[in-house]
Amino acid sequence: MKTTYPVLLLAAAMSLLLACNDDDTATNPVLPVQAQTVTNLPADPTTPSSTTGQPPLSTGKYTLFNLRDNKTVANTDSASTKWDIGFRGTSIIVNGGPIRSGQGGAYVHTGTFDELTTLPTSATFAQDQSPSSLAIPAVSGAGWYNYNSSTNLVTPIPGRVLVIRTGDNKYAKVEILSYYENAPAAPTSANRSRFYTFRYLYQPDGSMKLN
Amino acid sequence: MLSILLLLAIEQVPDPVVDTSRTQQLDPVVVTATRTERQVGSLPMPVTLIGQRQIRQSGSLRLNDILREQTGLAIVNDHGQGLQVQGFGPDYTLILVDGEPLVGRTAGTLELSRLTVGNIRQIEVVKGPSSSLYGSEALAGVVNIITANPAEGMRGSLSGRYGANQTSDLTTDVSLRSGKTGLYLFGNRYQSGGYDLSPETPGTTVSPFLNYTASGRLTTSFGPRLKLGISGRFFTEQQDNSLATVDQRLVSGTGRVRDYSINPVLTQQLTDTWKLTYRYYHTGYSTTTKLAYQDTQAPYDDSYFRQNFDRVEIVTERTFRNRHYLTLGAGYIGEGVEATRYPGRQQFSTRYGLAQFEWQPSTRLTFIAGGRFDAHSQYASQFSPKLSARYELNQTLAIRASAGVGFKAPDFRQLYLNFDNAVAGYSVFGTQEVGAGIARLQQQGQIAEILIDPGRFGAIRAESSVAVNLGAVLDLRKAYDIPVRISANLFRNDIRDLIETQVVARKTNGQNVFSYTNLSRVYTQGIELDGSYRIELGGSQLTVSSGYQLLEAKDKAVVSSIRNGDVFRRNPETLLTERVNLSDYGGLLNRSRHMANVKLFYELTKSGVSASLRGIYRSRYGLADRNGNLILDEASEYIQGYTTWHLTAAKTIKKITLQVGVDNLTGYTDPSFIPTLAGRLWYASLRWDWATTKSKSN
Repeated sequence: MKTTYPVLLLAAAMSLLLACNDDDTATNPVLPVQAQTVTNLPADPTTPSSTTGQPPLSTGKYTLFNLRDNKTVANTDSASTKWDIGFRGTSIIVNGGPIRSGQGGAYVHTGTFDELTTLPTSATFAQDQSPSSLAIPAVSGAGWYNYNSSTNLVTPIPGRVLVIRTGDNKYAKVEILSYYENAPAAPTSANRSRFYTFRYLYQPDGSMKLN
Repeated sequence: MLSILLLLAIEQVPDPVVDTSRTQQLDPVVVTATRTERQVGSLPMPVTLIGQRQIRQSGSLRLNDILREQTGLAIVNDHGQGLQVQGFGPDYTLILVDGEPLVGRTAGTLELSRLTVGNIRQIEVVKGPSSSLYGSEALAGVVNIITANPAEGMRGSLSGRYGANQTSDLTTDVSLRSGKTGLYLFGNRYQSGGYDLSPETPGTTVSPFLNYTASGRLTTSFGPRLKLGISGRFFTEQQDNSLATVDQRLVSGTGRVRDYSINPVLTQQLTDTWKLTYRYYHTGYSTTTKLAYQDTQAPYDDSYFRQNFDRVEIVTERTFRNRHYLTLGAGYIGEGVEATRYPGRQQFSTRYGLAQFEWQPSTRLTFIAGGRFDAHSQYASQFSPKLSARYELNQTLAIRASAGVGFKAPDFRQLYLNFDNAVAGYSVFGTQEVGAGIARLQQQGQIAEILIDPGRFGAIRAESSVAVNLGAVLDLRKAYDIPVRISANLFRNDIRDLIETQVVARKTNGQNVFSYTNLSRVYTQGIELDGSYRIELGGSQLTVSSGYQLLEAKDKAVVSSIRNGDVFRRNPETLLTERVNLSDYGGLLNRSRHMANVKLFYELTKSGVSASLRGIYRSRYGLADRNGNLILDEASEYIQGYTTWHLTAAKTIKKITLQVGVDNLTGYTDPSFIPTLAGRLWYASLRWDWATTKSKSN
């Protein structure tokens, strides 16, 4: 048969390729990246001022966070690529767009954190265009949370994963777990808000593989 | 419990109706289903009839007391106690008094406790859409309250009742008839001290209130072919409110509700087979609320709401060959509303025409075809057809089917509301106001971001549904002389363009601006079973009846999202996300999958003794989302199911009847979630019936 030879050749080439891959992993082991959980990250919490009856006070500043190092970055470094995401109230910002210094971006993926193992190459990342037009919409129901006007509670929407491109072109996935201090199972309006608990996975090798 | 009820429902069934032993072979007559007088058993659509006798034996005082005991009906609490029929909320059932609509809904709910049952002759409940006869709101069904007519001679009654929670009721009526003219007058005073299910918190669960109802009817005839009836009604209520705000400050003050109506009806019998009815109806409804903080006396709520409704209608009925009936009608409705939360005075008008033909090709087969066209000043015209048929296989078994379209017009609130919640900071605008409202907020610098072009909200459509009801009635009375009657009805309603709140813009204070838009498509479907069995033992009779409804009411968009695997929930303990399965979805909030009742009415005619025991069961129903996905899918999001038992016993000596009773025998309460369910309530009443001429008294 005329086709036999090319098929055999292809098979040989494939096995060679796979063997090479095996060699690569054997000689160059890549540690699987681990998901990490951040608890009680303050996002400009308010200071209660029940005595005056005035609206509670806050600083208006974003809490900036570096995903690679799993630590906060001083707000004075906001015009740098030292940070990847920032939190203030229900607004989450990324380090990319006309109003930022980095090359980052983000989009909201519908699905579970664990099932999102590889980003599609077709993924398009939005950027922070202006304070009122963020990559992750700060609108109830449209971004990462729902706001209930009768209970006055902010609830992270289950099945929403924030896919982040960092300021230096690495990828990460983030799932917000709670907006309240100590992540109570059933928050009430008595719980202090603007405290993020989230888990995330950061891929340091620049690939779109997120597990 | 449920299985016992089911067994009862299937094995034995009666119709727990009005009629006494004297008239038990006669099927009672209803008017609501076809707008003509028809025997309830001969109709091709599901109709429930509640007679005066059942109302009295049940010790009911207000309309909600008696409706909650009927199969397939639930009383739900949302800005008042309203009626849920076939899984539809209170907005979708039209409430009529003598064929004329009651107005005055709060957030869609018509408070049923506004109506005393003292002057009611019978209540007719038609399930399934009846917009083909009644227009807007008759989407889930129609409840028609038929009030008493002047009786022969002169008679009257006086009754008083006192019970727990300092609840008292005084009712009197008098009926006169002389020659061609009759007069019926009725008065009622109802007062309650309210109750507090959670004394540890400030404010009361239900505040004390007092209300009065007066109604009357004058009937007369001008010659043998022309009859005039004039009915009127007046209701006023005052409630002394006391409640706690979110920040635990005490607020108190009064709320007043008032409604009145006048309804002349002229009936002209042109020939034996041709009748004309001219109706005019005027009604008004108003509320005023004045609440102030107790500490500072600063106003908390100072608002009013005034609504009026006028209707003229001409209906002609022709009979052909004694068994085919043609009904044609036309009318005009003018409505107006003025309120604190609406800009200026808003007015609507509707012109409509209706036609219905009832065709009986044989004595065992009936077809009814009808339709109504409503042309409205504020939204697109509606055509609502309905077709129904009934076939009697034999004396024992009849099957019936009906299909129809129902609609509900956008109400004043959805069109004209203009409301800024000063406490929470959000705003709500009706579709006609949202443009101006957003512009105003923008000028004030309150808008952070517009999410949907306000111009898109103008063209709101009426909500509409297509419904099918299929049923069978098994009646062993005629053929076998066994007093058992069983009926079953399968229903399916597909509703489109449900009007819901939609976020239009985000305010700088982080709150939203809402308006209304046509959003969801939902369906409700289920089965309803009813049965009754009458046992006669010497001079006594026991009627056992039971009913059951299985209901499923779901949002179609949610169902398809779950199918696509796009709905998730967060485990409250681990905070991890999992996918929701279709079997987890509990459907729309506030709907019980199972509802059942069992009722025993006992009567020992000779000694004037009667008693009743009624049990009403509601399975768990959804309260609110708790796990972040906005749908009902987890056990903690439900209010648990419950059964209430009600007991009465009465003894009549000559013209005096003494009745004692206990509502909610087991004292079941759920203070956090069912504030309308007071605990165990006892009462005793005394009733005196008098008549100056001998006539058939009840």
